Amino acid sequence: MRPTAILVATVAFAAVLSVRPGEGQTYTAPRTAGGQPDLNGFWQALNTAHWDLEPHTAAPGPVLQLGAAYAVPPGQGVVVDGPIPYRPDALEKKKQYAANALREDAEVKCYLPGVPRVMYMPYPVQIVQSDSTILMMSEFASAQRTIYVGGKNSPPADTWMGWSNAQWESDTLVIDSRGFMGGTISALDPEGAIQVRFLDRAGNYHTDGLHVVERIRRIGPDHLSYQATIEDPNVYTRPWTISMPLYRRLEPGMQLGEFKCEEFVSDLVYGKYQKSPAR
Amino acid sequence: MRRGGFRIRVGLAGRKDPPHRFRRAAAAIVAAAVVSLTATIGIAQNPPAATNGSYKVARTADGRPDLQGYWTNLTYTPFERPRALANKPFYTEQEAIEAFNKAVADTTDQIVHYVNSDFGATPVQTGARPNPRTSLVIDPPDGRVPALTPDAAKREAARVAAARSRGQLAQTWKDDRGTMWCVFHDRAVPAVVAPYGSNYHIVQARDWIVITYEWNTEHRIIPLDGRPHAPASIRTYAGDSRGRWEGDTLVVETTNFSPNRNFYGSGGTFTLVERFTRTADDTVVHTYTVSDPSTWTRPWTVELPMHRINGPMLEYACNENNQDGFATLKNARAQEEGRLAPMDAVKRGDAKAAITEREERGSAKVLGGDTQDGNK
Repeated sequence: MRPTAILVATVAFAAVLSVRPGEGQTYTAPRTAGGQPDLNGFWQALNTAHWDLEPHTAAPGPVLQLGAAYAVPPGQGVVVDGPIPYRPDALEKKKQYAANALREDAEVKCYLPGVPRVMYMPYPVQIVQSDSTILMMSEFASAQRTIYVGGKNSPPADTWMGWSNAQWESDTLVIDSRGFMGGTISALDPEGAIQVRFLDRAGNYHTDGLHVVERIRRIGPDHLSYQATIEDPNVYTRPWTISMPLYRRLEPGMQLGEFKCEEFVSDLVYGKYQKSPAR
Repeated sequence: MRRGGFRIRVGLAGRKDPPHRFRRAAAAIVAAAVVSLTATIGIAQNPPAATNGSYKVARTADGRPDLQGYWTNLTYTPFERPRALANKPFYTEQEAIEAFNKAVADTTDQIVHYVNSDFGATPVQTGARPNPRTSLVIDPPDGRVPALTPDAAKREAARVAAARSRGQLAQTWKDDRGTMWCVFHDRAVPAVVAPYGSNYHIVQARDWIVITYEWNTEHRIIPLDGRPHAPASIRTYAGDSRGRWEGDTLVVETTNFSPNRNFYGSGGTFTLVERFTRTADDTVVHTYTVSDPSTWTRPWTVELPMHRINGPMLEYACNENNQDGFATLKNARAQEEGRLAPMDAVKRGDAKAAITEREERGSAKVLGGDTQDGNK
């Protein structure tokens, strides 16, 4: 099959998987005052995709002292059409990155987590929706996505969170994102530089060739269907798709906390150039 | 104590030292932000807070005043009123234009590090306009931040002395809040006009309004649903904001600021009440009042006109490429060990003189100055 045909087949397959009894296509989402399906609220993944997108057994964590508290919980994986189709050379790289995750993973350094990773980290994502602009904001590092509904512009520059245009296809928000940063652009010190962008803590990764198409749809009062088709010819032989529900955070008075995590990692990043730790 | 580096480093797209290809991209974006000279020079309101009687405020689908879009509060009006203008809160229109042009010329002279038009940072490109006010502080009537209480003055003196005792060279990443610090941008709230990057993007939903400040992509996510403030034990850099509509004005009350803040001598114990009123198609008037009886002898109020600019606004990504963090600390260690000669004293003296002169004229406080560099 040609790549386009594969992409279409992948998306169709993923759409079938996401329909669940009593929910799915029959559910009609409430509308905003502007008439769009209402995605406002606090959403969060409840799975282990942030540890490893692929099926994985439980494992010890990367830091001995943290013991069971930071051990890797088991997970069924969220890749619809796995395993992730790495090119052979890219798979070798993945193993190297996985072995050096504490140094290479942007999450450790409180760098902006990128897309789609920000959507399934263990932090809530708040959606604030107007007719023409949808903001998606994670508690992690105050990361923010700006999504231009009906937007047609190309990315004016590479960014960590990418450039997102979207359109409504019936009740599904389809977001097309490009313009992602590959790694740090030119840090002066290797301690601050990362080479590629991780998609999880297991070393699955992408480069600046990333193109993501997400499909987000209300499937119930408190659930979103979330899918992302991931394409990066530098790394993968074909597009591939992840799928998961996102759950509404129902706590009364829910709001994003302030998690300015740079504070918690600066002694680690700058440590060897400081006279003593700052805290 | 180091007085912070006031340097134009980034453009509207707000990155640290962007490589050349970013410059070109930034220039392309901001080309759209150019405001016509005619519009720039016109003074729309006098006094600015008054609603233009003929303006019928645009509304969202929810029926609320529509504050959405891209705005700048960049101004060349000084934060505090210069002593020479003590009894003159307003300029005439002609005086305002002359003061604006002079401030623009002075600022342009100071900034020689980059070609400003490349970054959309010339006054016309940024959307700044003349302001009939002679200071941004509009109350007390003298246009100056009120005096510190005796206790607050002692506290502030102790803080400055502690910072000085740490010496000129940064010991840790916390020692140079002006240029190494990406945790939070102190100008974001309460708004203190910056020499560049003073841009905002506002998005509204029924129960929330998000005000994103370009610098550090500091977003304030403000609930409008009448909920109470967070518990007093939760204290944050941006504080805990609650919004409500009073007629067509958005009123935002913010408390619970972090003790790591230092706002004109208050260590996060101040409360902030802001009002946002759209007075024209291209103007939102933003006023705020700060009070803290443990710091100031009375509350005080600032008025900041926000003018429409074209977007978009790109992500700032400060921590992700914080070369200043590495460079400052490495250079400090190298100087201590004699591997690097101390910075050129003449050059350093010149930069300081420029900043001092700017402050004496009453321009906006320079980042890293005594009243803006808490947490040292």
